[in-house]
Amino acid sequence: MVLVVLRRILVFATTVVVASIATFLMLSILPGNAARIALGVQATEADVAAQATAMGLDHPAVVRYLDWFGHVLIGDFGDSAVSRQPIGPEITDALGITVILVLTSVVLALLFAVPFGIITAVRQRRLDGAILSGISQIGVAVPGFLAGMLLVTVFAVTLRWLPAGGWVDPGDDFGEFLEHLILPAIALGSVQGAVLSRYVRSSVLEVSREDFIRTARAKGLGTGRALLRHGLRNAAVAVMTVLGLQIATLLVGAVVIERVFSIPGLGSLLLDKVALRDLPAVQGIVLVLVVFVLVLNFLVDLLFTVIDPRLRRAA
Amino acid sequence: MTMSAPTPTLSVRDLRVCSPFTELLHGISFDIAAGERVGLIGESGSGKSLTATSVMGLLPETLTATGTVHLNGVADDLLTAPERRLNQLRGNSMAMVFQEPMTALNPLMRVGAQVAEIMTAHHTENGRRQARQRAVELLALVKLSNPAETALALPHQLSGGQRQRVMLAMAMANDPELLLCDEPTTALDVTVQAEVLKLIGNLVADRGTALLLITHDIAVVAEVCQRVLVMYQGEIVEDGPVGRVLTAPQHPYTQKLIAASDLSSVDDRGRLHTMPVIGIPRVADSRLSRVHTEVAAVPILPPHRAAHQRLEMGGPPVIFNEVAGAPTVSVRDLSRQYRRRGGGLFAPAPIVHGLRDVSFDIAEGQRFGIVGESGSGKSTLMRILCALDQPTSGTVDVLGQPIGGASERRLRDFRSRVQIVFQDPMGSLDPRMRVRDIVAEPLRHVGRAEALARVEAQLAAVGLDADVMHRYPHQFSGGQRQRISIARALITRPRVLVADEAVSALDVSVRAQVLNLLADLVDEYQLTLVFVSHDLAVIRHVCDTVAVISDGRIVECGPTADVYDSPLHPYTQQLVSATPSMDALARRSDTSSSSASRAP
Repeated sequence: MVLVVLRRILVFATTVVVASIATFLMLSILPGNAARIALGVQATEADVAAQATAMGLDHPAVVRYLDWFGHVLIGDFGDSAVSRQPIGPEITDALGITVILVLTSVVLALLFAVPFGIITAVRQRRLDGAILSGISQIGVAVPGFLAGMLLVTVFAVTLRWLPAGGWVDPGDDFGEFLEHLILPAIALGSVQGAVLSRYVRSSVLEVSREDFIRTARAKGLGTGRALLRHGLRNAAVAVMTVLGLQIATLLVGAVVIERVFSIPGLGSLLLDKVALRDLPAVQGIVLVLVVFVLVLNFLVDLLFTVIDPRLRRAA
Repeated sequence: MTMSAPTPTLSVRDLRVCSPFTELLHGISFDIAAGERVGLIGESGSGKSLTATSVMGLLPETLTATGTVHLNGVADDLLTAPERRLNQLRGNSMAMVFQEPMTALNPLMRVGAQVAEIMTAHHTENGRRQARQRAVELLALVKLSNPAETALALPHQLSGGQRQRVMLAMAMANDPELLLCDEPTTALDVTVQAEVLKLIGNLVADRGTALLLITHDIAVVAEVCQRVLVMYQGEIVEDGPVGRVLTAPQHPYTQKLIAASDLSSVDDRGRLHTMPVIGIPRVADSRLSRVHTEVAAVPILPPHRAAHQRLEMGGPPVIFNEVAGAPTVSVRDLSRQYRRRGGGLFAPAPIVHGLRDVSFDIAEGQRFGIVGESGSGKSTLMRILCALDQPTSGTVDVLGQPIGGASERRLRDFRSRVQIVFQDPMGSLDPRMRVRDIVAEPLRHVGRAEALARVEAQLAAVGLDADVMHRYPHQFSGGQRQRISIARALITRPRVLVADEAVSALDVSVRAQVLNLLADLVDEYQLTLVFVSHDLAVIRHVCDTVAVISDGRIVECGPTADVYDSPLHPYTQQLVSATPSMDALARRSDTSSSSASRAP
């Protein structure tokens, strides 16, 4: 078991390094001179050259990469090319918000998808099962930003129950924080929940046809108990796989949803910095997003070994 | 002696099972007395498994059962009893062991816990701890070594035979009055099958449990049962003591079934007795619709007779069946190793030996059998002979051409001269291709019209009408598909035909037909046949020479009759004794059933 975790950590670390190289390369081969962007179009050639030296742009790419990544590892993302302020604090603040938003939406999605998927699977031959299944099918087809706008129209504009956007820090006012969190989290989680519930349904259906469920019934367990005791854990393995794959989609969704609800998360920050052509900041944010996805995937992988004991043996 | 017959443990009356479209079981009735061991035999689709699942109340939702099923001591009719009542009976008064040991256990739950669950579910043990303890005892009862350790194992860590023992421990946990076994040993190797059958027989005999054993294999019934029910197309056509049914079957179907199962009995042409084909009218007997196809005359060599040799423990490697001159297949010092994934973080992957130092020849026109159990290396050897896998070391020459390490380009000619018929008639044909395209596919540089003409002739040669050409594989039965596979293999006029478990997935009656067809075609096309199988009886019937393979080595090789009648190697002896012949079975079951027969 320890060996398996060690191996996963090693894979994780390697992936982070590869991702950082990819991020660095992608942004450094983009056209445009970072020094000129920092100074604006009216700067003289001499100023730009001086700025380039100050930013270390005259060094070879390898040196620049090592310098950048080395600092990132100790939490220093460098200075913004526009505001000349350190980027680090800005990123960490935004990251905190995005983490809360994404995790809440994952939890909401699971809370919806698992019972919903099981019910539609167990009652697949009945009318109510078919209707519920149809609802989740519609959920899959509705994009997150549309769901967000609909939610705002209904709950914020018409009913005036919840705020239409913005963000309150949980430390400032926890009630306000929840009020601001709930709509964007539902908007982000609804699509994931609908997709997941389809997978829960199909894997529960698949598992219920397995021989070992028949064995459990031959033992004298009722259909429900057989499924609960033997089916769910097996079905969870398939659902986890999908959840892991969905995490990247979820972050992309978060970028859009943050815009819709004007939440100052990583997504909003990234779009702002791209608009400003603030390359060091963009570079830092992209890396943080990538690492965030990798961390979540890593956690999903660990969960796998908890659910499926066959994976505990180094395979 | 009082004549009041004791109440039977199981009483089935006029059981009918219907799907929305058709009736599958046509009103069957039978009793099983307390402690009686009854076999239920028939081919696939005859309704054996439906009978057992009806009794257990585990029919698929789409099927409905009518009639009555009574279990001794239970007032309710099992077919109409509420689900709640059935849950009390299943696993307690009646228990079932299923065919597939690989999938019948929950892969994520330790086997001890799975055995314990059946006791906690019925409150036959107080508390989980006691149930776990009892589970370990039960695992010991089914003769699993280290029962305490095995109880903590996950199913994938156990072999098929071990899993089936776990299933048996589970089924016997609450001392049921009735045990239903559905093909319990079909997926197991012969030597393991013999052990598991013995175990089942002993367990039910010791505890006086009534047994209903479902199988397609007459030998299995003879091994364990006192009485046999023969099922055919949803009806029980014969019911009698095993010895009597085996030696003097009354119903024509039973007579044919027994004749077709008996691979040692052949007609005057040396062909097996086949059953009339019912319900598949398109397939004529291969003899009748045979179109003679011309084959380039090959000079017939004097038949090569293999020397009977065995591998000595620690002795030098032996070249088996060595052929002077130019053998069709020549294998020298062949080894194949695999690296298994796993091991430590940085430790090298452990090496698994698939084949070690295998050397043998196959002469032209020889019918060479390779027999072994699962994991013996026979499939690896087959794959290398067909150039589907590369040897780690050693040389393989087929038809004078070295094939080890040859590029696919250079193998093109080889591929048309060495053809294969695979085991699974379902999986080895592309479901989205029409039969004509499947059969024509190996042909190269042949025009469409000529290809179709050749396909038609080839299909006729395997006993299929020309109008099958436009259909898809799923429209055919297993036996017909295997004929299509054979047609595809022969269309390039190969010199060597490799058959990999080619009849293992077929019912006995169909098996006999396909074996006869193969024998005819091998004669007609003067093929060299390499027949790989786990089934000694089939090999004995088909092959003139046999190599016994175990643990990656050929341990014995020689003329088939010699190897079977006087096996030299202990492993061969074990293998031969685990597969008894039909008359030995009849003789044995005669004595066992007369001692245990019911009072008239």
